[in-house]
Amino acid sequence: MSCSEAERLFVAGAPHAAQRAHAASCPACAAAFRDHEEVAGLTSFLRPPAWSPGLRQALARVPALTVSCEGADALIARMLEGEIDDSERARLDFHRSRCGACAEAAETLLGIRALTAPVPAPWFTGRMAASVRPRATRAARSGWRAFIGPKTAIALAYAAAFVVMILGFNPADMARRARTDLPAEARSVVAGAGTTLADRVGAVEERILRTALVVRSRVFGYGRAALTNAVQLVLKSEAPAPSGRPRNGSEKGTPPKNETAITTWRA
Amino acid sequence: MSGANNDKDLVERCRQGQDEAWRELVDRFGQKVYSVAYHFTLKREDAEELSQEIFLKIFENLHRYEGTFPLVAWVVSISRNLCIDRYRRLKREKSFRFVSDEAVAPLLTSSDDPAALALRKERTRMLFSALSEIPEDLAEILVLRDLDGLAYEEIGQALELPEGTVKSRLFRARAEVARRIRERHDSRAQGTPLAVVAAAFA
Repeated sequence: MSCSEAERLFVAGAPHAAQRAHAASCPACAAAFRDHEEVAGLTSFLRPPAWSPGLRQALARVPALTVSCEGADALIARMLEGEIDDSERARLDFHRSRCGACAEAAETLLGIRALTAPVPAPWFTGRMAASVRPRATRAARSGWRAFIGPKTAIALAYAAAFVVMILGFNPADMARRARTDLPAEARSVVAGAGTTLADRVGAVEERILRTALVVRSRVFGYGRAALTNAVQLVLKSEAPAPSGRPRNGSEKGTPPKNETAITTWRA
Repeated sequence: MSGANNDKDLVERCRQGQDEAWRELVDRFGQKVYSVAYHFTLKREDAEELSQEIFLKIFENLHRYEGTFPLVAWVVSISRNLCIDRYRRLKREKSFRFVSDEAVAPLLTSSDDPAALALRKERTRMLFSALSEIPEDLAEILVLRDLDGLAYEEIGQALELPEGTVKSRLFRARAEVARRIRERHDSRAQGTPLAVVAAAFA
């Protein structure tokens, strides 16, 4: 037989008289209530143990022994600057010995100074010098260079060359001619030679002939290629597939009806 | 000033490094912390060492107190966590197997009647022996309530338990302790020479 009414009454904070009354009427709860009362009585005559004056003094000295976590942050920052005295260092060290988080933070921050300078890559110096050089020349530019940058000058040069080409002058030919060093007698012959009408007609005729040759060769070439392709297409063409699937196994091996004609045509 | 504001103000003054505020905090909670520590260790040296550890922890974590519940509950919570660790170690080391007279003497008031004092000593030793045998979640509630005199509300705040759970555990803890004491008493009665002789001739 079990009854938890005594516990329920106790948890609900029922008056002691009500708990006692239930225990008197319920055999199941009587023993539990009696145990409850007896153990409570066991502790009734006990007194709290007295703490010694020495302990009180030791507890009062706690702030001189350690620092709080928030105080440790400030001390670590000051320690990096070398601004803490011995007593503060002792308090911080004591706290670091007890607090893993603060010890980790202090070790990390103090370890910054132990880091060595990174060794630059071999190409680093050259690349840095290259990146610095244009600035130096830009600062030293004078005259029209002060107003027009290198990129702008290049763009203008290309534009001028394009305009000259549009106007009918080939800068490459002009440069080649300028570099051509003719002998003096040849130069006089060239200078003395006049451009007659017959020369001009002959030049036009020669150009027409050359153009006709090119066109004829292209026409023949394209025509021959087209004809070859057409013949190959015809030769490679297959007979149309049979219209339906074979209905039984006997028809599977038989060739299409027009295959013989195609073979003959190919031959 | 209300209790919560008073607690918050005291903690704030301690954080600012005011020595008199820290001494006030020590005077307010030193006895209670030592009492909790002693009931979990039953040794004066261990209790004093544990009390210092608890107050070091309190000082280092003052910035964590937000004032949402009474300072005593926060102090007891820190005390309980450290005491439970020590208690588990002692239980592993079987240090609670035998509770000496010296261990319970500081808990007893002096009496002119030596027989009554001896009886109280014996009962107290049996109480602590039984406490060491029951589950620790029940034992700690009984210690905090019956030995340290904390209110149900304070225990609930310290252990983060509803008040009903605290009462329910206390009821079960008392029942468990009573059962252990009864079993120990019965076994001792059967173990006496007279009982052995009687059993032999039965």
